[in-house]
Amino acid sequence: MTKLDVDERWDLIDKISKKTVTFGEYKHTLKDAIGELTVKPLTGIPIAIAVLYGFWSFFSSFAGFFTDGFFVKLFDEHWLLWLQEIFPGKESWLYYIFVGDPSATNCFEAFGVLTSGFFVAIGVVLPAIVAFYLILTLLEDSGYLPRLAVLIDTILHRIGLHGYAIVPTILSLGCNVPAVAATRVLETRKERFIMMTILAIFIPCGAQLGIMKEVIPDTMGFVIFYLFMGYLIFGFILNKIIPGKTPEMLIDVPPYQMPTAQNVGRKLWMRTSSFFKVALPFVLLGCVIVNVLYLTGFIAWMGDILSPLFIGWFGVPSETAGPLIAAFLRKDLAVAQLSAIEMTRYQMISAVVLVSIYFPCVATFAMMLREGWKELLGSIAVLAMVVTLYGGLLHLIWILLGVA
Amino acid sequence: MKILLMGHPNVGKSVLFNRLTGANVIESNYPGTTIDYTKGYMRVGGEEVEVIDVPGTFSLDPKDKAEEVAVKMLHESRDATVICVIDASKIERGLYLVLEIVEEGYSVAIALNMWDVAEDKNIKIDVVNLERILGVPVVSTTAISGEGIKELVSRSRGTAPVEVDDIFERVED
Amino acid sequence: MKRLSSIYFGILGVVTLAFGIADLLVTIGGSGLSFGILEIPCDAFRGGWGGLIILSAGLFYLAGIKNISEIHQLSKVMMGSILIWIVAGLDIFAMITESIPGGDRSWFNTLEGFLETYAPPYTPAIFLLPFSLVVFYYILKKERNILKKEEDEE
Ligand SMILES: Nc1nc2c(ncn2[C@@H]2O[C@H](COP(=O)(O)OP(=O)(O)OP(=O)(O)O)[C@@H](O)[C@H]2O)c(=O)[nH]1
Ligand SMILES: [Mg+2]
Repeated sequence: MTKLDVDERWDLIDKISKKTVTFGEYKHTLKDAIGELTVKPLTGIPIAIAVLYGFWSFFSSFAGFFTDGFFVKLFDEHWLLWLQEIFPGKESWLYYIFVGDPSATNCFEAFGVLTSGFFVAIGVVLPAIVAFYLILTLLEDSGYLPRLAVLIDTILHRIGLHGYAIVPTILSLGCNVPAVAATRVLETRKERFIMMTILAIFIPCGAQLGIMKEVIPDTMGFVIFYLFMGYLIFGFILNKIIPGKTPEMLIDVPPYQMPTAQNVGRKLWMRTSSFFKVALPFVLLGCVIVNVLYLTGFIAWMGDILSPLFIGWFGVPSETAGPLIAAFLRKDLAVAQLSAIEMTRYQMISAVVLVSIYFPCVATFAMMLREGWKELLGSIAVLAMVVTLYGGLLHLIWILLGVA
Repeated sequence: MKILLMGHPNVGKSVLFNRLTGANVIESNYPGTTIDYTKGYMRVGGEEVEVIDVPGTFSLDPKDKAEEVAVKMLHESRDATVICVIDASKIERGLYLVLEIVEEGYSVAIALNMWDVAEDKNIKIDVVNLERILGVPVVSTTAISGEGIKELVSRSRGTAPVEVDDIFERVED
Repeated sequence: MKRLSSIYFGILGVVTLAFGIADLLVTIGGSGLSFGILEIPCDAFRGGWGGLIILSAGLFYLAGIKNISEIHQLSKVMMGSILIWIVAGLDIFAMITESIPGGDRSWFNTLEGFLETYAPPYTPAIFLLPFSLVVFYYILKKERNILKKEEDEE
């Protein structure tokens, strides 16, 4: 069997195509011209800003409609009251686990499996995830995403990240798990490691965005900004200190195309349902575990031990120990739990940031392990450093501003 | 019988796969959507045929982990019929991968996908002549509308390996 | 036709630009403004971020009016309109999602409350929306002209 070398192959292809292909005249259409506008920096950046605006506006209107418009009422005024009435044994530990605090007036405070667990998963996270995936799918199928990558490439290159990094980054705004898998299209181990690590640390997932919008609507912008700056800063640092190459990568830009309702619907359904298969058990399990840990006094004990670190270094109340344990299972649950702790606005911001960066959730952790345990260990080392420095930095900022 | 779908990223392999098997793998309009392989089944004339969708790859010399999956899958399926999916509007690059696979002695059929895009761009491809030169079935398809898929399936059944030397000869006539 | 469209989109561009600047100034000023049926929002999101987009829409229009029938120029005008549709579309979507739930009292809004949400004043983007749609008319007309020209040539 003959094998050709690269040049021979291209020669043969040349001959074949001369005999079989004719390229007719092709005039630029309006679609192509608009396509060009979206990738050139001068025009592309305002467009990207508008797309981001559309994204956020849709996300908050859609999620707000279901959560604030209907679910809050349903869960707080009907479901919670009903459960508190019919569930037997107000003093029993079973009641504590399933319904939670008997004096609670809303589903954030109660923290039972059936109350907060369902409220967080269905009332808050479900609408947020649906909204996110709807927009993501439209961006993907229209062909805007790879163009955004080209656009960002010129900018991100200055800090040593590759433009294609934007694809896993955007995917991880929905859920970090598929995003970690998506880093497989990056060429070198170095790039994959950096991407995977900063994704898992800094990018909040859709569930977390949804709950943040409920719990800290006013200060959420700052939290996201702080996380995003961390993403850039630590991406830059890692790129400098880790040996290896970040080769140029050609991004193939497909033509713009109208998304079909059928494909959008199908993808939305697939992603939402697979998200829930992972999320719901963890949210419910998380409630059980956290409640059991409270009942056994473990969390109070942890809080006491860690309080110098929490209060002195991070500037958050020692009760944050509870949410941090929950955050290992589900970040959304942890943020919900934070909302019931007494603290200042600034402590709240610090606590939410900590919950976000201190450890990936267990599903992401498992996915990273699948990509290689060496990488995982490396990520954890980076993570420990980031939490200490970047978490502490926020406290320092508050001190300098005189609000801590 | 076993069919393996190979081709560059974003040429429509997953759309084709979903059409053939009724499966639901994610398809999107950017390269690098599929990052792992998926197996599915379809029935052709009473026979159960296994179909495999893999990540897109530019060549058989993998550049990243996703491409590795595709190449590994190819090498594990020596007995498979390979359907090379090509973006008809970028036919030359696609042929490179086809030749590589042909050289390794696989039975190959070619789907000239995105036929509608090529037509829009005024690119004309002489399918009959291409088929004569390559010596393997070549079928124009538009995976999103389903056009040409039936023919692709029936034509890819009887395909056999070809020699590159013969292709060299035929291209000269 | 060409001249007229340049003038039309030129004026639209200037107005859009002015609205964008007004949005930003009002946001910096910190209190909302409302005259007649126009209301300029002052929150950082709709006024600030949204204002920035309206401002860019105006710039797109102005960049595209010279030699508007050329496809690359036309695409800029089109993009100006698209930016307005994004902001206006989502302003309207926000109105819709606010108009349906009943708030503290009941599950759903009353019919009156529902309709009231849609009453003026409107944001600048919604105000600009109908004027931005004219770009469709222009493109259709242009295509028809090209077809006619081709027929004439044949
Ligand atoms: N116009 C047109 N678009 C098509 C056709 N086939 C597929 N597409 C589109 O091409 C895009 C890519 O399709 P996929 O099936 O995801 O591509 P893939 O080859 O699996 O790509 P990777 O998984 O990245 O390797 C989708 O947006 C499809 O809608 C076609 O025949 N014509
Ligand atoms: Mg695919």
